[in-house]
Amino acid sequence: MDHAIDRIKNTVINGGHLEIELLVKEALENGVGHQDIINSALIAAMEEVGQRFSAGKFFIPEMLVAAMTMKKGLGIIKPLLVGVQARAKGTILIGTVRGDLHDIGKNLVAIMLEGAGFQAIDMGVDVSVEAFVQRIKDVSPEILGLSALLTTTMPEMKKIIDALTEAGVRENVKVMVGGAPVDAGFAQRIGADGYGKDAVEAVEQARRLIGA
Amino acid sequence: MASLSKIIILAREVKPMNQRERFLTALRRKEPDRVPICELHIDEPIIRKLAELLEIQPENRSKSHERMDYVELFGDVVEKLDLDAVIYSFSYGFKNISENRGQDKFGRIYGLSPHGEPLPIKPRVESLADLENFDMAAQITPEDFADLQYIIERFGKTRACLMPLSDPYKETWRTLGGMQTLLLNFRINPELVRRLLRITTDFTHKAIDMAVELGIDAFIMPGDFAHETGLLFSLDDYRDYLKPLHKEIVDHVHQGRAMIVKHSDGNVWPLLDEWMEVGFDGFHPIQPQCMDIKEVKAYVGKKMALVGNIDCRTLLVLGTPEEVKRTVKETIDVAAPGGGYIISSSNSIHPNCKPENYLAMVEAVHEYREVY
Repeated sequence: MDHAIDRIKNTVINGGHLEIELLVKEALENGVGHQDIINSALIAAMEEVGQRFSAGKFFIPEMLVAAMTMKKGLGIIKPLLVGVQARAKGTILIGTVRGDLHDIGKNLVAIMLEGAGFQAIDMGVDVSVEAFVQRIKDVSPEILGLSALLTTTMPEMKKIIDALTEAGVRENVKVMVGGAPVDAGFAQRIGADGYGKDAVEAVEQARRLIGA
Repeated sequence: MASLSKIIILAREVKPMNQRERFLTALRRKEPDRVPICELHIDEPIIRKLAELLEIQPENRSKSHERMDYVELFGDVVEKLDLDAVIYSFSYGFKNISENRGQDKFGRIYGLSPHGEPLPIKPRVESLADLENFDMAAQITPEDFADLQYIIERFGKTRACLMPLSDPYKETWRTLGGMQTLLLNFRINPELVRRLLRITTDFTHKAIDMAVELGIDAFIMPGDFAHETGLLFSLDDYRDYLKPLHKEIVDHVHQGRAMIVKHSDGNVWPLLDEWMEVGFDGFHPIQPQCMDIKEVKAYVGKKMALVGNIDCRTLLVLGTPEEVKRTVKETIDVAAPGGGYIISSSNSIHPNCKPENYLAMVEAVHEYREVY
């Protein structure tokens, strides 16, 4: 059983997207538990990917293919999960703010959060204040993630936080911010709950914010 | 504006090099008579605001085609600011197809934002089958170079003329619909990546030939390979996918007796040795948030000229003219000794830069640049 877990884990780390589905099916057929595969192989693999990224050994291509592999493996297990097993650790709504079309950083955060067992709902780019607020009301996520790559679109983040307060939903959601011109000081000044300098740190922050 | 004019007139009376000689001397890593100034790109709204501030009166505009009025205005602004180089692109046939969507002649669709560069929003090519009739080089026409030809005819003897030449890496991700798609394909579909890089490199070669024939002095090749904390992809991937193509391009440019500057935002320290080996003549923009220009100059200064470093992410957007001037002086003091430095912003004068701050930057350059 450990051997199967290790094989799946290493296949995710190494981006074996063509082999992963068969490996997961074989493991299930041989009696390896769903949660073992998810926690000890798939999510553990993405934690290792994050560590290698932080250490400068993995870069964006390796992260993307590992995430793709993990998602394919998870796709075999998900239909088998019921009740509590099927629930994600938390839901994060994420988007790039109005006027900003940059998405790669946001996408990496969403990918790594899903790799860590969260459900990420990606609203895309150039998202208005009103759209964020409405979606928060519709989905009730635990976390809102905001991305901006331009100094001139950063102010949108404060507008969104203020709008959440005005709509009476600010207390129900933790707000995380990120992007090249954003830093921890800015996050604090605008009343955000967390800041991540990259996708790996975003996952740590998300876990901290909801106690996952 | 009167003080800027006085400084420029004084400078012209004292020194013998013209702007073109000055720029090219610095690009050859020698000491010119004073520090040259250029700018990779000044967005059209900024050019129009600068024209108002500089009180440029349009006279006898040729209006030979729709865009010529703007190209002439651009030239007038360059002259009034007395930039040592003029950098102008050839046309990609870009057209707006809706309020927030555009398309180029290669069929690539972009999202538009008032804050910056159009970015692709859907793939033009998704698979090897899509490459069947995709030939960018074959779609280049002499008409695409009409504006650049005007610029070279107007300025070629007095100011250095440069053309932006998109890195095959950048043209490839534009074609695939985004950088993330390219980076994933590095791993899952290397053949698609290589075939598309070949197509975009051939496109670059054709553009080089046409620009060299018009008399271009140099090229600058935008394509970001890093963010502030490091490279987007590994050194192994650079050496495998891109370095041989860069070598081809640099050799081709040098055979045409021109020079070429590599542009990348971010922390590109791991790539500097590779670029020196490939033979790039210069590096732009030395993003100040993550690269110290003094350290970079000490490391590459014997092999590559440096262009850039005046912060356009925060300083030129939110700073005061006084802060801008102080930064210009400090940067010249650090980067200019020994030659091989050309001052510019740390990317471009994008729509969010305050025109007043850019004018303060140019004014400060003219004031502080006689350091040789």
